[in-house]
Amino acid sequence: MESLDDVIDAMIADRVIHRHRRKWLIAIALVVVLAVVIFFTGGWREKKGRTVDTVDAPTTFEAGRFEFGVTSAQIIRTPKTTYDPAKARVELSYDVKNIDDEERKSTTLQGKLVLLVVGGGEDPIESNGATCRGAINWVFVYGLPAESCTTKFDVPADFTGDKLEFGFLAESHDSDIGLLGASEDPYWQNEKAAMVVRVPTTTTTETK
Amino acid sequence: MKLYRTSTVLVGVLFVLLGGLTRLATPERVYDSENREIVHGTIGEPLKYRDSTITVHRVKFAKAYVDDDDKPVETNGVFVAVEYETVRGTEDVGSNDASLSTDEGTEYRPVAATIIDGADFVEPGFARSGSLVFEVNSADLAGLTLNFVSLQFWTVLTQDVSVDLGVPDDKIAQQLLDTASPEYVIPKTVTRVA
Repeated sequence: MESLDDVIDAMIADRVIHRHRRKWLIAIALVVVLAVVIFFTGGWREKKGRTVDTVDAPTTFEAGRFEFGVTSAQIIRTPKTTYDPAKARVELSYDVKNIDDEERKSTTLQGKLVLLVVGGGEDPIESNGATCRGAINWVFVYGLPAESCTTKFDVPADFTGDKLEFGFLAESHDSDIGLLGASEDPYWQNEKAAMVVRVPTTTTTETK
Repeated sequence: MKLYRTSTVLVGVLFVLLGGLTRLATPERVYDSENREIVHGTIGEPLKYRDSTITVHRVKFAKAYVDDDDKPVETNGVFVAVEYETVRGTEDVGSNDASLSTDEGTEYRPVAATIIDGADFVEPGFARSGSLVFEVNSADLAGLTLNFVSLQFWTVLTQDVSVDLGVPDDKIAQQLLDTASPEYVIPKTVTRVA
């Protein structure tokens, strides 16, 4: 049975909620407006600038479970045709080796691990993974020597440059925190910038 | 309105203790994972996968593979092609990942060209024959085992298949490498009534 105390408690709670309702609504509306403004102004991101070394090609270095040997790059222009607008792409030639001592597992190279650094505060452009021996999305085998591969970046048709910069990300072999029930087995994750390579670039025009 | 009655607090404490108890009751890591029952077998043996079966018919070694009239793709190692057949039962089979493992603990995955990188099942009552091609390191072949690992989102009891491909040591691996064919043409998958 409800006691008088409980009834009075409920009444007081009711009053308090009503008295401050407008303030609460204004506070919630402010949070929503703030979120919308931040979303449309480009998100909550801190531009840090470059935090890793920049080296000149040709160079060989290790990043996470891969060893990269960067050699050359090319801007390839495709002129406008009757049905297609003019296009341009950047092709980077590099050697890739799987050095995953932790898992000894075959894996593909994710496109987001190799980036074309455009500069000027713009977002880097992601690659399309590694194309080796004419096959896209090559599966790199642990224990085999490095494969010579290329990777492609879609760039605007008027893109120019004679020394392009490519960013390489390295994953680390970490485990998640098991406190909330996730498995604590480590896996390759948490990619971080590892190296920027400056590559002399030639420009060619592709004709059909 | 009392939010924290004594009984509420007691029930909470009880749940925390129960959680701790299940943690204690978990067996030591006797198996790789406790929720996977692994069916072991050899080449030519129909292996139960839930109420379906998987049979590995043959294994071929090759220096290159050809897919769909494209140019042959070569390797610094060797390609291992596994030809298998599945017969689908009525139960849901979900999807699975195929991989080769060796005694050294290396894990090989199918080449990108095959697109389907696990055992492929069709409708109940039908059989499907397919082929998986793996690029492998020719110096790391001993104990070659084919694994079909069920993919799952929730950790529940499930079943995997593991097939011994008959490469017990480096000597036999060398024989297989010596007799490797220059090219392996990836066959088209065939579906028929089981």
